[in-house]
Amino acid sequence: MSDNNVLLVTGATGLVGGGVLRRILEAEPGSRAYVMVRDELRWRSTEQRAFGNLASRITPVHGDLTVRGLGLDYNVRRRLTREVTGVIHAGADTCFSRSLAEARLVNTEGTREMLALARVCGRSRRFVHVSTAYVAGRRCGLIEERDNGSSAGWVNAYERSKYEAEVLVRKADFDWVIFRPSTIACDSRDGSVSQINGMHRALRIYHRGLAAMMPAKPGDLLDMVTSDYVNDAIVRVAFDPRASRQTMHLCAGSNAITIGDLLDAAYELWGTDPVWKKKGVERAILTDLDTYTLFARSVIETGDPRLASILSSLSHFIPQLALSKQFDTTVADALVGHPAPAVATYWKAMITHLMANNWRCVTRAAA
Amino acid sequence: MSSSASNISATPAIGGISYLFPASTRSVRQLSQDSQLESSVETLESFGFENVHVGVEESPYQLARDAVAKLIDEQSIDPESVGLLIYGGTPGVMAFSPAGDAAIGAAGFCTTDRFKYPSARLQYELGLTKAWTFAIDQMACTTLLAATRIARSLCLTEGIERAICVSSEFFPMYAGREAIFNCTSDAACAVLIERDGPANRLVSATTVTKGYYWDTDSRRDEVVASYFPTARHVALQTIDNAGWKACEVDWIMPHNVSMRSWEILSGLIRLPNAKLWTDNIARHGHTLAGDNFINYRDALDAGAIEKGQKILLFSYGFGAHWTGVAVEA
Repeated sequence: MSDNNVLLVTGATGLVGGGVLRRILEAEPGSRAYVMVRDELRWRSTEQRAFGNLASRITPVHGDLTVRGLGLDYNVRRRLTREVTGVIHAGADTCFSRSLAEARLVNTEGTREMLALARVCGRSRRFVHVSTAYVAGRRCGLIEERDNGSSAGWVNAYERSKYEAEVLVRKADFDWVIFRPSTIACDSRDGSVSQINGMHRALRIYHRGLAAMMPAKPGDLLDMVTSDYVNDAIVRVAFDPRASRQTMHLCAGSNAITIGDLLDAAYELWGTDPVWKKKGVERAILTDLDTYTLFARSVIETGDPRLASILSSLSHFIPQLALSKQFDTTVADALVGHPAPAVATYWKAMITHLMANNWRCVTRAAA
Repeated sequence: MSSSASNISATPAIGGISYLFPASTRSVRQLSQDSQLESSVETLESFGFENVHVGVEESPYQLARDAVAKLIDEQSIDPESVGLLIYGGTPGVMAFSPAGDAAIGAAGFCTTDRFKYPSARLQYELGLTKAWTFAIDQMACTTLLAATRIARSLCLTEGIERAICVSSEFFPMYAGREAIFNCTSDAACAVLIERDGPANRLVSATTVTKGYYWDTDSRRDEVVASYFPTARHVALQTIDNAGWKACEVDWIMPHNVSMRSWEILSGLIRLPNAKLWTDNIARHGHTLAGDNFINYRDALDAGAIEKGQKILLFSYGFGAHWTGVAVEA
């Protein structure tokens, strides 16, 4: 991407949108950006911490993915259509427990609105869409870097709404690229976690001995990636001509970890804490989906509110474990120039970090 | 964890099982009407419960005494041949009070009445004059399994030829009858252990105690979550200690907790539900005294168990103890 670019970025307060924007502004001193935010006050309260001196090259504009026309002021819209040279759409509702209508409103319809805006941005060269590897939904086996269809269905509304957004992007009559990160675990350098997600929450529940089992086989793969890999990959490839109309998995792929190894490492690490060890928390059982579902249903039926709440929160994430899949990363590896780091190289560091921070994330300040 | 496997030439065996329930029976619906349940009738019925036995006129001691007397009678044994008597269940003078007057029994703890032990009284009244006699406590629903395990060990190490283990557990008549989605029954159950028996041999036993869960009320969520992985662990360890493979187990004699929980557990240890002896869950509910042995006796009487079959007895007791015993029929 050349200098003097003007980006429009959604999701800039998030892990990917913010990380990508920071890296681009650092790499291209002549570039600047508009960030579309719903709450300008919130943006103002975080921009200095997240972007430091780079914040002077960022202009927040009020906009809302759930509103027709994005709720943009007329003059703002005109300015964007004249100036923007590229759109990075990383904004999304990543909550797995939303209803389909709620998830679609942000993730599908929001993308539709962003595509409509990008279409009239005369200087825009490409629409960069941040999706998720889990648009694959219930599909098992090798997942290719293309539209794999919808016949397998999905585990939650998030996955479905993101799949539907991809369909809209592919129909665009202008250039686009789709990035599909898998679950973002941590920063590979020190295992620090900047944003807690469903995987981290699930891990904490197992650490506390509040979940008895998970529906998976020991050899099944669990894919996750580091935030630095995802952000670097997007910055490197987003406007690369070779990436035109490409879909790529920003995933560990063949470097994913097996569930068995993942649990071995986690329980071994937890066992080094004498307080935890003294409790005698039993290792979670790997079982079939039917048995897991019967257990979860029983807890919910019996009305124990805390456990029911825990099982309900896991229900939007854990069933994915039973759907063993490996994400093909051929396209991404070729364009990025290297594969994502192996999960085994940072998994323990991430758990150590989470435990040291009482299972909370850390806020990384701008350099 | 502690476990044991038979490695001495003699193999202690179950020589007989006798049990008794109080005369009064109440349905889950009746218990609910009297506010003795926490969960709805529909939930508990869907989990397999229909009726429980409730002591009114009987005392835990009376029922224990009658169960042992029945055992001695059915097995035609000389009381003086019994070298060991282990009592488990309702403690101290509470055991002597009819269930309807449990408060009177509890008051006895403040006087020398507390030293009036049911185990000693049983020994005297039943003429078990040569039986080393003591009680075990704080094992909840695993009490009788623990007693048989101790008896098995003492038969091997002390040369005791014959032991009787008896458990009698009552709830006060008007007390709550539900323990985390399980309907509880009053009962007494007595088991005869022979030092070397030809059938129903006690092949292995495993117990895991996790003291962290001692306070069931405040750690209820963790108790529920820990139940299944630990139960699976203990069941498989018991089977392994017996030198069996899980797929070789012919029957599981369960503690009579909810059918649903057994469906989950049998899924976790990959045994079909058809191998569970569940006939008694609906008609008797969950006795603290000795579900596993009551079920074993009924399965024997029904002709369901064939000689040589591999039987797993498993129970969980609040406090928290998980116990498995492997029996070769």
